[in-house]
Amino acid sequence: MSDGNHPGGTIGEALLARGISRRSLLKYTGYLASILALPPMASRAMADALAKAPRQSVIWLSFQECTGCTESLTRSFNPTLEDMIFDLISLDYHETLMAVSGAAAEEAMQAARAANKGKYVLVVDGSVSTAEGGIYSTNAGKTNLATLKDMASDAAAVLSVGTCAAFGGIPHAKPNPTGAVPVSEIVTDKPVINIPGCPPIPEAIAGTVAYIITFGKLPDLDHLSRPKAFFGDSIHDRCYRRPFYDKGLFAKSFDDEGARNGWCLYEVGCKGPVTYNACATLKWNGGVSFPIQSGHGCLGCSEPDFWDRGGFYKPLSASVMGNPAIIGGAAVAGIVAGAASVALARKRRAEALAAQSKASAAAQEKMP
Amino acid sequence: MSEESPRTGMAQSLLREIARALAALAETGACDAIDLRSLPLTGGDRADLETALGRGEVAATFDASGQSEVWETRHAGVWWVRHLGGDGRVAAETIEITPIPDILAAHPDDIRASAAALMAELAETTEETAHV
Repeated sequence: MSDGNHPGGTIGEALLARGISRRSLLKYTGYLASILALPPMASRAMADALAKAPRQSVIWLSFQECTGCTESLTRSFNPTLEDMIFDLISLDYHETLMAVSGAAAEEAMQAARAANKGKYVLVVDGSVSTAEGGIYSTNAGKTNLATLKDMASDAAAVLSVGTCAAFGGIPHAKPNPTGAVPVSEIVTDKPVINIPGCPPIPEAIAGTVAYIITFGKLPDLDHLSRPKAFFGDSIHDRCYRRPFYDKGLFAKSFDDEGARNGWCLYEVGCKGPVTYNACATLKWNGGVSFPIQSGHGCLGCSEPDFWDRGGFYKPLSASVMGNPAIIGGAAVAGIVAGAASVALARKRRAEALAAQSKASAAAQEKMP
Repeated sequence: MSEESPRTGMAQSLLREIARALAALAETGACDAIDLRSLPLTGGDRADLETALGRGEVAATFDASGQSEVWETRHAGVWWVRHLGGDGRVAAETIEITPIPDILAAHPDDIRASAAALMAELAETTEETAHV
């Protein structure tokens, strides 16, 4: 069942072989269009494009991480509509999920790499240790640093899943004994998409992969190389408690009248105003709730260095509020011409950081 | 849908948008759709919209990777399409302005596959009968 162009067969052929109708695919693309903020009329064209596309080879590497990102993707899915992401991809290597281990697993990775050279998507969760040549985190006798450089060289694009891979995360927190860095500091010649979060929202992972397969290019990215469909709005902008902020009604502690009335959690340390993510709209655990709805402020886990930004229970400081690296611009990237476009995102990030330094210097000068 | 849920006026805005899209469908045949999940609708807004649109002659439920409900509203050409995900929660919900939603029609690829499968079944049956 192959059209000749795709030796492994297309997604449409694979679904047909499993007795899954196009109706299911159309439902799934309707769901995708909604979470990706695409026009609903696009779902038919997306379904037709997906049916003709080959299953996307995905190689998943885990470095300095806690496996929470994998838990997020796999535990959230019931064998229903959302599960269809696993019909679109061929997860060719994932140490936690695959049955084989040891030398056989490494052979599987190399076989997948050879069969999909230049075409596979490399997913990385976890930061990369660089201190002492990266010896603090190794696997199969190789440092994560060496494995990343090696496997990224033949990838079409790299997805940094979770805040550790995207920004260094908790391993990168001071004093950072392992010299942890984000993937984007190591891979500079391939498109790198960041899907941060601790853990990231599963729909953001699945939706980004599905977008790449459907459209054959990367989604629109912000200045931190995050898909704008999921990271375009702040938690604060979409928070159902926002009207209380606008009215100046704040909880002062977690057991006062304001807390009981569901008022804004800004004064007990909520980082929602400077955190860009889709928690307030997509929510967690099948759409049940998200931290603010459960009575706790946002920790800001999808932003760089969230662990070192002062106390979680202290109100936002002016220095954090004014960080242009958080509030900056945007970039667009394509999977083919991705290197140039992602370079634009990197350039904008550098400009944002330079502006931040300039602003800090100016503030210092003004200080008595 | 709680009656105490606040109203934002969104239902009235949506009804006007639907009316414009329906007029375009009548005049030019152009189909349209509105993604309800992307809108900040309160429970009250949603209840108002559902009441205003009402129910028409056609309703369908089907199970394709999860349950779905589709019904024509009391306005011909305006359909409410609701897909449920895991745990029965709403995964996607649209108002479609079209003669018939795409999701209800059989896809040509499925029709071709079914035709081939039915032919194969009949050929097998004929062969079995010949051996009796």
